[in-house]
Amino acid sequence: MKDKLKIMVLDDEPIVCKRLKPALEKLGYEVDTFIQSVEAMHQIHQTPYDIVITDLKMKEIDGMRFLEEVKKQYPQTEVIVITGFATMETAKQSFRKGVFDFIAKPFKLGEIQEVVARAAAKIKGATA
Amino acid sequence: MSYSSSSFPPLPNSLRQEKMFEYLHNLWNRIKRPKPGLEAFPEIFERFQEMLQNHQLVMELIADLGEKSGGEYIFDRKYLADTVEEMHTLLLHMVQGLNLITGNRHLELHSALNHIFVPLEAELRGRLSLSGEMPLIVSLTEAPLDRPELTGGKANNLAVIIQNLQLPVPSGFVITTRAYRLFLEYNQLEERIHAWLESWAAGEQDERQTSRQIQYSLLAGVVPQEAATEIKRQAGKGRAYWAIRSSAYGEDGELTFAGLHESLLNVPPRGVIQAYKKVLASLYSPEALVYRQKMGMLGEEAAMAVLAQEIVPSRVSGVVHTLDISGEESDCVVVYASWGLGRTVVEGRGLVDRFLVERDYPHHLRRQEIAPKLTLVRPQSGGGEEVAEVPPEEREAATLSEGQVYQLVRMALKLERYFKRPQEVEWAVDQNGQCLILQSRGLIFPKAATPPKQDICESCALYPVLVRDVGVVAHAGVGAGVVAQVASDADMDRFPEGAVLVTKYTAPWLARIVPRAAAIIAERGSAAGHLATIAREFRVPTLVGVEGATELLPEGMKVTVDTKNRVIYGGRVNELLHYELVQSLAFEDAPEFRLLRRLLSRVAPLHLIDPTAPDFSPQGCRSVHDVIRFIHEKAVEELMDLPGLVKRFKGVRVFTLVSDVPLGLKILDLGGGIDPEVSGSRLYPEQIRSAPMKALWEGLSGPGVWSTEPIPVDFKGMMSSLSKTWAETPGAATVSGFNLAVLTETYMNLHLRLGYHFNLVDARIDPDPQRNHIYFRFVGGVTDLTRRSRRAQLLANILSQYHFKVDTKGDLVVAKVLHLPREDLEHRLRLLGRLIGFTRQLDIQLRSDEDIPEFMEAFFEQNAPAREDTPA
Repeated sequence: MKDKLKIMVLDDEPIVCKRLKPALEKLGYEVDTFIQSVEAMHQIHQTPYDIVITDLKMKEIDGMRFLEEVKKQYPQTEVIVITGFATMETAKQSFRKGVFDFIAKPFKLGEIQEVVARAAAKIKGATA
Repeated sequence: MSYSSSSFPPLPNSLRQEKMFEYLHNLWNRIKRPKPGLEAFPEIFERFQEMLQNHQLVMELIADLGEKSGGEYIFDRKYLADTVEEMHTLLLHMVQGLNLITGNRHLELHSALNHIFVPLEAELRGRLSLSGEMPLIVSLTEAPLDRPELTGGKANNLAVIIQNLQLPVPSGFVITTRAYRLFLEYNQLEERIHAWLESWAAGEQDERQTSRQIQYSLLAGVVPQEAATEIKRQAGKGRAYWAIRSSAYGEDGELTFAGLHESLLNVPPRGVIQAYKKVLASLYSPEALVYRQKMGMLGEEAAMAVLAQEIVPSRVSGVVHTLDISGEESDCVVVYASWGLGRTVVEGRGLVDRFLVERDYPHHLRRQEIAPKLTLVRPQSGGGEEVAEVPPEEREAATLSEGQVYQLVRMALKLERYFKRPQEVEWAVDQNGQCLILQSRGLIFPKAATPPKQDICESCALYPVLVRDVGVVAHAGVGAGVVAQVASDADMDRFPEGAVLVTKYTAPWLARIVPRAAAIIAERGSAAGHLATIAREFRVPTLVGVEGATELLPEGMKVTVDTKNRVIYGGRVNELLHYELVQSLAFEDAPEFRLLRRLLSRVAPLHLIDPTAPDFSPQGCRSVHDVIRFIHEKAVEELMDLPGLVKRFKGVRVFTLVSDVPLGLKILDLGGGIDPEVSGSRLYPEQIRSAPMKALWEGLSGPGVWSTEPIPVDFKGMMSSLSKTWAETPGAATVSGFNLAVLTETYMNLHLRLGYHFNLVDARIDPDPQRNHIYFRFVGGVTDLTRRSRRAQLLANILSQYHFKVDTKGDLVVAKVLHLPREDLEHRLRLLGRLIGFTRQLDIQLRSDEDIPEFMEAFFEQNAPAREDTPA
């Protein structure tokens, strides 16, 4: 397992980051988490990620802009959107921007692990 | 209710035109409304059905919240706020519905709703923490467990250890942060302290001057009467001396103020108030000020709770580390011990004994290092402490027996299992040799002792996976131990501390061993059930719905259960256990989860059990669950008043069940409960379509159940039955009320007055198990209360064998079972049918407590097929 997939998690609710990191690490991914979108944006300009998991409603840079930026820089990066019911409609629009999948909060750890696994399979399939 | 009695009150002159219009409009509506007697019955039933549905929806929301507290979900505050709002709306509808069918007889429910929802909404806004509802002083045995901002970290931990983990801890009480606020307010100190801090921050004064000013004013302050009286009362209990310590919020948590705040030991009762002020003042010592500035916390309000703990004149005391901070023996728990009071070990005042015990079951003592111990600390008469010499014969002796070491290790590992972090536990052994926990906090270990971050995924891949991606998570976490399968009371007594409980059903009677389990695996059951709730309370990783678990995981096998990832490994996966302890978040302590638990405590508990008790009233409703329980009871009561219904409403169709079983049962169908072809008023059992009713009837009318033979009545039972009024005797059933079943295709509410007994069965069988329930209530009887209670006990015993959660109160039995699939519920309803027949006149035959097992056997023998899925 040398070539681990790199995942970025961006959500301004710290609990989301704190819980997702170990849950994904245990599945063999390398995980960086951010609670500030500005920092995450800075990071994304430095380092490519295989998978980006982002909230939509955030202070400063909102998730929709963030994912546009990610997709512009790295079209092959898979973006997974996590969001509350209130922004579900917006989330659906995000599909047009090439989002891999979106998940409504509250969600089960198992659900996001499953979506990430599908994204990982797609990435591996593409590079194989 | 009748419009004819309403007269026209004079219109006030001041009423403006639009008001007048509104008034007339309302009046017209009142006149227009048909006579209640003409109201169509189906509408009332529609209301009733709607209430049933809303009842169901609220129960689902409660279950949802409960499930979320298990850690399997990621949620935010918005979810909590939305759920509470939805509940509120549903309850308002239910209250309106009930008032509609009862002619506004329950309007006080509106204020009951306010009593529950106003604080709930305040919790959501985070405004309740220090309100008047919270105590100034509270004993550790009564302190609320989810309010560390009130009692401080240290005291909160101790309250959890006492109340939840039930480990022995010296008694104590907390002077809460609310008392601190009151103290500041009373002495008008808040603004002054703020001003001094500001001038220090601005560089106008140094920290020594600032500290001196603040400390002086705190020490000179007066503790307000209401707090002082209560402190004196608590401190005056017994003849104890006290340890007075800080319990600041955040202390012992993520930030450590260890050693910065003062602790005063061996304080006599009359000195407690002065000691309290000294500890408060230590919040503003120069060192504490600098530390808080460094941590960027100066701007935040410092609020101090103070813990008073009874001093144990200990023979031996010390500390347990659940992980070896030197990193040399990473698979061991380390016990440090010395003679006398704890200072010797805590402050590193000399050589101490060291015991190394394996973390893994059965916890072998690997090594003991007995040090020469020259001095000890002991309480000084009249207060304070002194250092004395250790008597020569004890200098080289081991301070602890192997049994005591083992006991301390077990307690420490239990603390670690609960707090999900390596623990540093202060303990004492009293003069009688009893081990007591004094404190427990997260163990902070030097960076060097943290092993290099290994790849957790790769490490886990080396272990065999026994189960993957199966089951439903009731509580998320990781636990390891030997498998102990439990199917009976005897198994429970043998259950080893820290074992993995494997069971077929999540039977409520298993609750007793939950605190001892490292993890729980069940083949059946739901994440919303009673046992799951208990597991969450004790933070035990729990996976339900693991088909075949009892065969896959044989007794005595060593396993590691990771319910966060739904994996069960063979063997002890030390890397994973270590990773969880050190690297992963203990979600249970996250603010969102605390908030959720606080909400749940106002939503989920059911306090109204006995509908005949005086507090079965809107005023007695203390939770959301209570309110819906009350509404359901009253709504059904309304339907039960059949003569009233027939008189009041048009078009009531009541059927009479025709059968060999002489019940005189009337049936009301709310839709789909009976064959639509039925004409006339007679109904045959085969025309019943309601799933719960069909199953119950199968049991009730089964061969041998409805024995019509006269039952021998002994003299005492006879006298008692003779002294009852005629209305309560069997023949009078049709006079005092109907036997009635209210049915739909999936629902049944059955009231049966059988001779001396009153049975109520409320059940739903839906394709979705999450909606299913059976609620059974049994009360009354002809004999004296002792015999009735005995019968209640018998029923409770039998029902709990079938995984019902049973409450008894005198002769009242309330039993519930939830969320089982259709066939399991049908099986239990058939059982209830037979049980109702079996116990019909049992109280007369049950002569002594010793008869209970015999009757249980008799019942189980007669119902042999029922045993197939009882715990063998």
